[in-house]
Amino acid sequence: MNETRHMSAERIIDGLVADLVARPPLRPGRAMMGVAAATLAACLVLALGLGVRADLLGGRPSATFLLREGLLALMGIATGLAAIAAARPAVGADRDGWKWATGAAALFPLAALARALMNGTMPALQPESGLLCLGSSLGSALAVGTAIVLWLRRGAPTSLARAGWLTGLAAGSLGCFAYGMRCPIDSIYYIGFWYSLSTLTAAVIGRIAVPRLVRW
Amino acid sequence: MEADDTSLSRLMALAQKGDRRAYAALLEQCARWLRRFYARRVPPSALEDLVQESLMSVHRKRDSFDPARPFLPWLAAIARYRWVDHLRRVYRLDETELPVEIACPDEGDAIAAKVSIDRLMAMLPPKQADAIRLVKIEGLSVDEACARTGQSESLVKVNIHRGLKKLSAMIGKA
Repeated sequence: MNETRHMSAERIIDGLVADLVARPPLRPGRAMMGVAAATLAACLVLALGLGVRADLLGGRPSATFLLREGLLALMGIATGLAAIAAARPAVGADRDGWKWATGAAALFPLAALARALMNGTMPALQPESGLLCLGSSLGSALAVGTAIVLWLRRGAPTSLARAGWLTGLAAGSLGCFAYGMRCPIDSIYYIGFWYSLSTLTAAVIGRIAVPRLVRW
Repeated sequence: MEADDTSLSRLMALAQKGDRRAYAALLEQCARWLRRFYARRVPPSALEDLVQESLMSVHRKRDSFDPARPFLPWLAAIARYRWVDHLRRVYRLDETELPVEIACPDEGDAIAAKVSIDRLMAMLPPKQADAIRLVKIEGLSVDEACARTGQSESLVKVNIHRGLKKLSAMIGKA
């Protein structure tokens, strides 16, 4: 029985060798360019549809805007790189830099919570604007997430749940980054709540949807 | 003769360029490595099938290998992925009721998988292991498991969820 099965393995090998065609290794740089292109496209669509912040157009963006967009970009790039790296399997590879970037971005909601606790009150969260933020960010996240999923399907991610979380976090943070270009609100409470909600929602959607899309 | 990691990386790099001789040599080495890998993890009756499935995965996903990195960690990651997939499939079969004439002849896979899982379950806290055993393996409902263990419904569900998560992590580190 073992001999028969060994011979089957040899036949499989013969078949695979006969089937071999040149296929260059996957290039993560191209995936990152795809993600950047999707983010840029989202920024353009939102700019055309909803406009751009006045201070940004005037060349004098506020400090809060720079901080927010900087942290979102950092988080998006770090989680995006980790998601892209997941397409190339390896045991023992440590790719945890994205956790630091995500921790840094969490400073906004934590600061908002700290201020609310200190003041004993939280200002109104402007739900009309907030829902527009949520919807636009998630719409942009869909574009970014699609670029990542298409890449992962070409690769061989071995931890599907992790790939899902990372895709969702990357798509969510870059989707928020895109929306942030037009968002005129600099309130720490608003940013801490709505931007965090958008990113976390995208992360959960990523965790649920991505594994079944990239299973191999 | 066993090739070292550097040689295997070179063979794979050549295979990615379409070199069939290098690819044949590489796959033979992979088959040997995979047999050793699975020999410790699955029953003999499942070993060759898994080796063949893994070789096909190596073929389909060969462009996911980075020639600048070591080869064996890449192969090990693919082998581990296929192994977890195999365990999931065997457990699904184990829970399905089969007609007696089919169920009797070959229970080796189910038994061996159960032995592997029992070893892993022994590393879980008792309440989590009990909840998983009663609901996921013996097929009791959550209510029946509550009555058996004295845990509340929400506690049974939490123990199952946490226990399965720990099992996945253990298998992932294996």
